[in-house]
Amino acid sequence: MTPSPISTASAPQQRPRSLDQCRKGETLRITELLSQPAFGAQDEQVTLRLKELGFLPGVSMTVLGYGFLGRDPLAVKIAGTKFALRRSEASKVAVATEDQP
Amino acid sequence: MSVQALRFALVGNPNCGKTSIFNRLTGARAKVANYPGVTVERRTGPVSGTASPAQLIDLPGTYSLHVSSLDEKVARDIILGQMAGEAPPDVLIAVVDATNLRLGLRLVLELKKLGRPMILALNQADAATHRGIKIDTDGLAAAIGVPVVETVAIKRHGLNALCDAMDQITAQQQNTQANVISDADASRQESVESLYQHIEQLTAAYVTAPPDTITWQDKLDRFVMHPVAGLITLFVVLLLIFQAVFAWAAPIMDLIDGSFGALSEWVAATLPDGILKDFLADGLIAGVGGVLVFLPQIIILFFFILLLEDSGYLTRAAFLLDRPMRGVGLSGRSFIPLLSSFACAIPGIMATRTVPDPRERIIAIMVAPLMTCSARLPVYTLIIAAFIPSQKVWGIFNLQGLTLFVLYMAGIVSAALMAWLMRLRRTREEFPLLLELPAYRWPSAYHLLLGLRERTWVFLRRVGTIILALSIVLWALSSFPGPPAGAVGPAIEYSLAGQLGRFMQPIFEPMGFTWQMCIALIPAMAAREVAVSALATVYAVGGDTFEQALGQTLGQSWGLPTALAYLAWFVYAPQCLATIAVVRRETNSRSATAFFTIYLFALAYFFAVATYQIATAVLS
Repeated sequence: MTPSPISTASAPQQRPRSLDQCRKGETLRITELLSQPAFGAQDEQVTLRLKELGFLPGVSMTVLGYGFLGRDPLAVKIAGTKFALRRSEASKVAVATEDQP
Repeated sequence: MSVQALRFALVGNPNCGKTSIFNRLTGARAKVANYPGVTVERRTGPVSGTASPAQLIDLPGTYSLHVSSLDEKVARDIILGQMAGEAPPDVLIAVVDATNLRLGLRLVLELKKLGRPMILALNQADAATHRGIKIDTDGLAAAIGVPVVETVAIKRHGLNALCDAMDQITAQQQNTQANVISDADASRQESVESLYQHIEQLTAAYVTAPPDTITWQDKLDRFVMHPVAGLITLFVVLLLIFQAVFAWAAPIMDLIDGSFGALSEWVAATLPDGILKDFLADGLIAGVGGVLVFLPQIIILFFFILLLEDSGYLTRAAFLLDRPMRGVGLSGRSFIPLLSSFACAIPGIMATRTVPDPRERIIAIMVAPLMTCSARLPVYTLIIAAFIPSQKVWGIFNLQGLTLFVLYMAGIVSAALMAWLMRLRRTREEFPLLLELPAYRWPSAYHLLLGLRERTWVFLRRVGTIILALSIVLWALSSFPGPPAGAVGPAIEYSLAGQLGRFMQPIFEPMGFTWQMCIALIPAMAAREVAVSALATVYAVGGDTFEQALGQTLGQSWGLPTALAYLAWFVYAPQCLATIAVVRRETNSRSATAFFTIYLFALAYFFAVATYQIATAVLS
């Protein structure tokens, strides 16, 4: 499965980050979905499920907070829906800082 | 004109309010059973409110036909008509949370491709209106090509539009036969990206929503999901629940207990001496009453679990506990099944089907019975009341309450340890959590009452069947054959039960069990709480002590080490055939079931012996 980076050209030029490296309260735009070897053979399934739940390139989301050990899992709000993700899932989501209007 | 009821299947994301719609449409006439092979609850019922006869099936919540858990697989198999023994549904009712349209519409568009007749129900339409979300249902219906109705499942007349739509579709579908859809036909043609593009077009054209603002929900989440404040809140909530289970239930339990006591005395005073009087007073009334008394506790515990589940709080708890639970090889998703196991391991084990990781699911099943289920409470409270003095410890704690707390903790700590050990022999491959945190919702009283009624009914049916039958069998075992003429010992020593207990007793010698205790273990295999009525029967029949409370009798005939060992045995022993049967069905593996049974008995034996030996050494 090849992640389809939409409009990376127009996204703000920044060091690429993944969701697990972001801070609470940040609003971010998804640039692409990466592979994560920790999921092994399941990785494509996880990518698919993330997409199905709305984690698609171009969509923006806000980091709501973290669990209490090792900042894991983290909670995000995406298109009005809240999800809990572990750091390993979050590391599959490459993001760029959203331009503040 | 055939009046064969059309079969409607409710499909939708978890938390979209599907089950509320189901409850509202079928009222109290729903049947809960299991699908053959898998213990996923099959909820069906005739619909009231439609002009034409209709049969409704409630499917497990699912995000996608591309399944990632057993629950989702069942939903998919039924939608496609591939479930063995289950006819394909004639019509799908796709339920979408109107406040969370995008996620729901994705599944709807996927379902639409299957070609089954479908109705789209936009549930929680009132909440959407309240938030300022306006949906052009006619436009949406024309664009997707299915009837679209707004529903408010928590209101009495909130489903009228859905019933009308069901009647209309029934008229069109009268002489068609639903077909089975093959995997090839169901396989996805369209990419997720283009589906979402389609959804963006639909929402842009037919939905107006105000910009996303910070709501009270978000403020509540900031507190509830806070790493420190949230965990303290969770701890307080759990503490309050357990406090309520014991404190609130007490007056009602006393009332039930008193009524059965009075009834038994009345029978004893009214009937002439003889076998009938013995049977009614010692066998029947003592046996059934001893178990029925725990109904209030079970209702209160289930009430809180249903309340937390419906309000959306349990998923926050799963979020908070995911990391700590991962330390022992589980995840936040196992929290809900394990919490349910405090009421009863059977719904708990069945709830593990929502755990997507098959390895985690097996571990959760294996440790679920270590959570202290409500059936153990009767045994615990009886023995604690008889042996542990009700005195204050450190000024605030009651020693009896503290003992109970230790028993609960023993179960939890053992479960953590066992889960950790079982994880060691498995490969470590990550599995995603990906948990939706649904919006908080005020639980509906109607929904809660139906849920409680279902659980109460299950318990009462057990009392009326298994427990009643066992009380009778046990009374007979301990009454026949009667003592020979001129015998000096208690009559039960000469009975079949006495012989059986004595036969078993050497095995349980190292933990100090008497033969009466061994007898009580046999019927407790049907249900743990029967141990109490069994002890009541054995001791009431055995000695001339019917006037005395059972606790006092036990206090006189057992030593403290024996009592503690009996408690330890009940913490671990898989004393419930129904649980073993559910494990067999859920794991679909004989070796897993055998492992489950043997390891729990081994733990029970080990800890009972250890408790007895240590307590004896300390006390002497």
